[in-house]
Amino acid sequence: MQNLAVQRLTEVVMASDIGAAAVADLKLQFAPFSSALEAGFWHQLTQKKLNDYRLDESPKCIKGYYYNGDPVGLPTRLNLEFSAFDVDGPTPARCSPAAGTLYNTNTLDSFKTIDKKALLEKEAKEIWDAVQSGAAWKDPSSLCRFILLTFADLKKYHFYYWFCFPALCFPDGIKLVQPPSLLQHAFSAKQMAALQEAYDGLCMKEGTSAVPYFLMKYTDDTAQLAPLGDWEAFVTDTKKVTVGVYDPCTLSQHPGWPLRNVLVLLANQWGSRVDTVEVLCFRDRTLQGSRSIQHSIIFQVKLPELPNSSVCPKSVGWEKNKKGAMGPRMVNLSECMDPKRLAASSVDLNLKLMRWRLVPSLDLDKVVSTKCLLLGAGTLGCNVARTLMGWGVRHITFVDNAKISYSNPVRQPLYEFEDCLGGGKSKAMAAVDRLTKIFPGVNAEGYNMSIPMPGHPVNFSQTTLSQAQKDVEQLEKLISEHDVVFLLMDTRESRWLPTVIAASKRKLVVNAALGFDTFVVMRHGLKKPPVTQSVSTAADSSPSCSSASSSSSTPAGSAPSVPGSSLFSNIPGHKLGCYFCNDVVAPGDSTRDRTLDQQCTVSRPGLAMIAGALAVEMMVSILQHSEGGYAVASSSEDRMNEPPTSLGLVPHQVTHRISSGSNVTPGASLIEVQCCSCSPIVLDHYEREGFSFLSKVFNSSHSFLEDLTGLTLLHQETQAAEIWDMSDDESI
Amino acid sequence: MSWFELNEEKFHHCCQLILQQSEQLSDGWIWEVVQGSKEGYLRKTALRSVTIDSKSVQKQKGSSLDPEPHTSYHSSVEQQGQEDEQPDCIKDDIDDEDAGICMMTANSSQVLQFEYHILYSCSYSSPVLYFRAFTLEGRSLTLEEVWNSVHPNFRLCLQNSPLDTITQQEHPLLGQPFFVLHPCRTKDFMRPVLQAAQDQHRPVNYVLSWLSVVGPVVGLDVPLKYSTQLHPAASLSSTEPD
Ligand SMILES: [Zn+2]
Repeated sequence: MQNLAVQRLTEVVMASDIGAAAVADLKLQFAPFSSALEAGFWHQLTQKKLNDYRLDESPKCIKGYYYNGDPVGLPTRLNLEFSAFDVDGPTPARCSPAAGTLYNTNTLDSFKTIDKKALLEKEAKEIWDAVQSGAAWKDPSSLCRFILLTFADLKKYHFYYWFCFPALCFPDGIKLVQPPSLLQHAFSAKQMAALQEAYDGLCMKEGTSAVPYFLMKYTDDTAQLAPLGDWEAFVTDTKKVTVGVYDPCTLSQHPGWPLRNVLVLLANQWGSRVDTVEVLCFRDRTLQGSRSIQHSIIFQVKLPELPNSSVCPKSVGWEKNKKGAMGPRMVNLSECMDPKRLAASSVDLNLKLMRWRLVPSLDLDKVVSTKCLLLGAGTLGCNVARTLMGWGVRHITFVDNAKISYSNPVRQPLYEFEDCLGGGKSKAMAAVDRLTKIFPGVNAEGYNMSIPMPGHPVNFSQTTLSQAQKDVEQLEKLISEHDVVFLLMDTRESRWLPTVIAASKRKLVVNAALGFDTFVVMRHGLKKPPVTQSVSTAADSSPSCSSASSSSSTPAGSAPSVPGSSLFSNIPGHKLGCYFCNDVVAPGDSTRDRTLDQQCTVSRPGLAMIAGALAVEMMVSILQHSEGGYAVASSSEDRMNEPPTSLGLVPHQVTHRISSGSNVTPGASLIEVQCCSCSPIVLDHYEREGFSFLSKVFNSSHSFLEDLTGLTLLHQETQAAEIWDMSDDESI
Repeated sequence: MSWFELNEEKFHHCCQLILQQSEQLSDGWIWEVVQGSKEGYLRKTALRSVTIDSKSVQKQKGSSLDPEPHTSYHSSVEQQGQEDEQPDCIKDDIDDEDAGICMMTANSSQVLQFEYHILYSCSYSSPVLYFRAFTLEGRSLTLEEVWNSVHPNFRLCLQNSPLDTITQQEHPLLGQPFFVLHPCRTKDFMRPVLQAAQDQHRPVNYVLSWLSVVGPVVGLDVPLKYSTQLHPAASLSSTEPD
């Protein structure tokens, strides 16, 4: 052995005497591996880190693979997929496995400071040991190894990683004797066919679908292949030995990385005894069902001497990052791994599905970006909020002053038994918490406050008065900040103030109110901008129109009348009435059920769900209309016409009575010139006098508004109407 | 009409035939079994080199429905982010002066990995195509990015296709987010295909016929050789009423 070493040393000296420039362009260059990670790999690493590794930083065995059948132009890849952690699992067909060592650090700092050079040298040493012990002859796949250094930031779903593909180096490179040429230029068709057949035979014999390294002998029409370990028996002529390598590279002038360490293995064992090594980079691809190996490359090298066979040669292999610099990479997977982000994108895609499939012209952005103010977080509020979430609405604000009581959770789907304990949580706050739990992407806020009401004095003390003023200001601010105001309270009077403010601020109002077995959902008329408003409303609305309402329109289900015949056709949005303008019973429904239990104060449980859902659907339809809140009110007759929006009709109001089985009936009513809530005289007083006018309304008996507008008493109307504002909380 | 239905047993039979043919054609389909379960699915991965059309990515960002700016896999955005958080280079302790490395030239194209799974849906009695696309780093693309990776000429035609009912769902067997071609229309477009086959007494592999319709929508090629190779004896003769 010592003689051999001396002999090698002299050869190295001789080799270095040759002019460096002349040799340089004849040196063999290898295409490095590019790491290719499948999305599933990171998911699996996350699972391992959370469930198995936890804080364990010790090296772990993983497994990758490479493929020699890529079309030209793809980088030479080492693939890691979700199965990388299952080292005993199968390798994909026609792929060659590579054993890897995973170093997953617990901190970014240890990722940065870990000694990369030492990691590479440790791995190189193992390869070198396999070379020296001869183990690599029996298992040549041990020559193709990799290191993966990772740090998984599972709070941000950022993954830092750095690959290394250790390759042992000859100090002076490898001299090309004959430059690479395509196999189709070097071999005849017959030879290639023989080679392909021999390769398949070898695979079958080895019980694998890819043999990474092999020995080869060929004549003009035959090819014989043998495993690398059969060298002694197979290689008879050491003048020229042909070695095949399963080659993942697609470049025509360069072999891929896996050739490097096998050349070291050959040099270590046979260096001086083999004159020339012919290398076949075996590339085997199938396109559209046609297999070919003709693009394989073949070349000859002079096997260099290793300077000192007892010392591990220098090694290289850390992968460059995307900028071509020596450094790690980082991939941000929050979008596909952060559950909150996933929820948000899934909700959006789900809605888009509706657009793609059924309503191509649906403008989802208009819906999703609408800011909704929900006045009332009871049965109606809960159901409205859930339906808004279903539509992807992100901005939802609740106003309610009630606490959750034991009877609530069964009817109010945002609350649970636990919320009732200890006196009960505030509804507005609990509703926000629940919305956030249901969908973390929601932007919800809650205000635990009461809404001052007419005939409910606030002037007991300076404190109560200033509190009422604060509440009014807060409500004004909230209405200004939102696009749509939902009136979902359980008293008629509490709807008065927001109706006035929203009318004054020209905000769209959607109102839902429940009776025992009937409900109304309506949009308030949206007044034109202040300049022209007072004149036109006064001129256009006639009291007789509204009184004629109940007799003139057709009952549901009867034959449609001639379009345009109804007094309620073509009422533009700015002329539509509000909740207080007149009876809110649908004009078409003349068969009133007088046998209702007038004592009952609780509505049928299914009603709020229907009404809440319809209120939101009405809002969405209005938003889809090109004129929004100014849209002409659709009537029953319009069912026969081209719908005004992609989602159909935009009625002024819909009513429903469960007991009679009647369908949802669209109806419309004109603005009431004497309305206690939206008439010009009321708005005028509110806009000029502000809180001083409002406090007069709060503190006086109904006669104040009555005197102002000349309308019947609010409370009397309540008695007459079939729609009560029913509370689920009330106990008889 | 029952032969228009695809039950689970038929589905597995069809998959077996596809696997056999794929093996002959080296088309890369494999049967993946879920650990600790007898359920499985057909799986194929494909690599594609894509030229990044940065303009269209920018344009897509207008809509508020599209997830925030981080949607973009626009390389400059991504690299900016990385520069801030990238750990320092560790040049000092790594010696890469090695003449044996062939320098790779960076080009403007990006390699994307596509992964396709075919599962059976009991609720729709039909096959369902799950897919995702990711970079070589393993970052899944958003649907917008997937569309942008498709050639602009195809994009328009694909987005108007009745098949483009794509949603995001958790993979029922893997629990990871995938895109799904929604199976709600499957029967509509399969009916004429199966009817025609029956009328001509031609054997038909339900899953293969289905795949050749839906595959191209998401860039999945089904070589013609599958159908030419389809030998009556070897195929599932679903045209014969049981
Ligand atoms: Zn009114």
